[in-house]
Amino acid sequence: MNTAISLQGIIKTYNGLRAVDDFSLDVRSGTIFGLLGPNGAGKTTLIRILTTLLRPTAGTARVEGYDILASAKSVRRLIGVVPQENNLDRYLTARENLVLHARMHGLQAGDYNPRIDELLELTGLAGRQHDFPDTYSGGMQRRLVVIRALIHNPRVLFLDEPTTGLDPQSRRAVWDYIQTLRSRMTIFLTTHYLDEADTLCDRIVIMDHGKALVDGSSTELKEAFAHSHRYLLTFRANEERYEQTLRSLPFVRELERSGAVFRLELAEEEYLKPLMDSIGGPDIRSICLEEPTLEDVFIELTGRKVRE
Amino acid sequence: MFRGAFTIWGRDMRVLRRSLFSELLAVVAYPITLYLAFGVGLKGYINDVDGIPYGMFIAPGLISMTAVSAAFDESAWSMWFHRRVQHTIEEYRVNPISVYDIIIGKIVSGFSQGAIKGIVVAGVIFLLTPFRFPAVHLLAYLFFIIFGSMAFSCIGTMCGTVVDKPENIGRIQGVVIVPLIFLSGIFFPLSSYPHAVLSIVKLLPTTAIFEGARLALLKGVMDFQYCAIAVFTAAVAFAAAVWIFNRKIEG
Repeated sequence: MNTAISLQGIIKTYNGLRAVDDFSLDVRSGTIFGLLGPNGAGKTTLIRILTTLLRPTAGTARVEGYDILASAKSVRRLIGVVPQENNLDRYLTARENLVLHARMHGLQAGDYNPRIDELLELTGLAGRQHDFPDTYSGGMQRRLVVIRALIHNPRVLFLDEPTTGLDPQSRRAVWDYIQTLRSRMTIFLTTHYLDEADTLCDRIVIMDHGKALVDGSSTELKEAFAHSHRYLLTFRANEERYEQTLRSLPFVRELERSGAVFRLELAEEEYLKPLMDSIGGPDIRSICLEEPTLEDVFIELTGRKVRE
Repeated sequence: MFRGAFTIWGRDMRVLRRSLFSELLAVVAYPITLYLAFGVGLKGYINDVDGIPYGMFIAPGLISMTAVSAAFDESAWSMWFHRRVQHTIEEYRVNPISVYDIIIGKIVSGFSQGAIKGIVVAGVIFLLTPFRFPAVHLLAYLFFIIFGSMAFSCIGTMCGTVVDKPENIGRIQGVVIVPLIFLSGIFFPLSSYPHAVLSIVKLLPTTAIFEGARLALLKGVMDFQYCAIAVFTAAVAFAAAVWIFNRKIEG
């Protein structure tokens, strides 16, 4: 399969601080790629470089084979961009916003009008197309920004935290729409929502301090970090006694209790049998292996400390 | 070529059309007030300046002032608003247009607004006064309106590009633009200046625009030095605006 996006040794420094540090990446055409990382990890800087808004300090970046510096205009012809902030023109109606974008791409009215009608209909905005964006809800504005990026049928769509600030229903609506685009274009997504990446992305890279930390599908990442042997143990009775027993076991590394439910982590997988031998059987309601979530992987890699 | 610039200019004109009446009302009020206060109010005290009735003496400057102020305001605030508030400049930049399209579109928009508002103020002043000028004088006068609006549109664009806090745009207007306008002899003859100061004042671009415009309208004279300064200022301001915008936006 072809490569839609290619980054080789990208470095971006701001006043001596490396926001992106020797970052390399290839994204295959027709896939949904997710870039995750805490605030300040360098995700938005990378998107700004790929969308020709920022010059890298060093390295090369290509989109659909076009160099972002030497052929910036060709790159911009092929990409659609949904930025973090809704940069709609509040002095133009929703439709006028879309028409302005189409004209910037050199489309003729005969081409862009049916396309705009189709996209407005598809996203449920047709009835409000002559209203100003300020009168829209956050979810409607977000949908408008997404369809604006799609008017010219881009080959690569960049979505920078597309559902930040939306209610669950609006998030789902945006997800559903992104899913429909899956086979038609390459999608490069950054997000803070790990369930979003889990649901949408074929491949995920977690980055921090400007560097890639891990790379793989959601399943691969979870499997790679499934070495913690966490179990959920629920008792029918005598929870206090069992808590004392569990705390005394040397191979139980971590223990959290919530009523009758205990979340524990074993030092090694082979300690499951000694555990069962220690606590016996009649009071156990259930015991199950807790699969790591993408969030567990993320926290393990990037730490728990809140970033500024 | 310049498809992007034309599209951006079209967008700005569409927005202007929506609020044309209130825009024109606001822009006409200030120079007309000045005209009534000075031209009519002082008429009994100042009969004429160098043989020209005082009302007639200040009219060309008020029209030029409206045009260049409107060009500066529109360009500065529009660029600042699109860059810092709406972030629409970023939306423009991810489209297949050049940085030159954006800057030229914005400068031409500022210039267009300045020219439209200047013409409207001229119409109102001509309606209120008995002064009439030959058509050829009006054409010569238009030369200074065009280059003056162009220069101030570029200066406004530079301010909107580099200034991040809106109050600083107001400060630049108060400390730089207004003194430049008022010191260039809108309300008094340049001959009032001491000789040593006059040679400096005559080099100011605003003097070239206002005094040149007055000579063109009232006497039909195209002063070469004023023409050259007006064209040179517009050209330098344009080059500087493009360069600054390019540097600022490209990071």
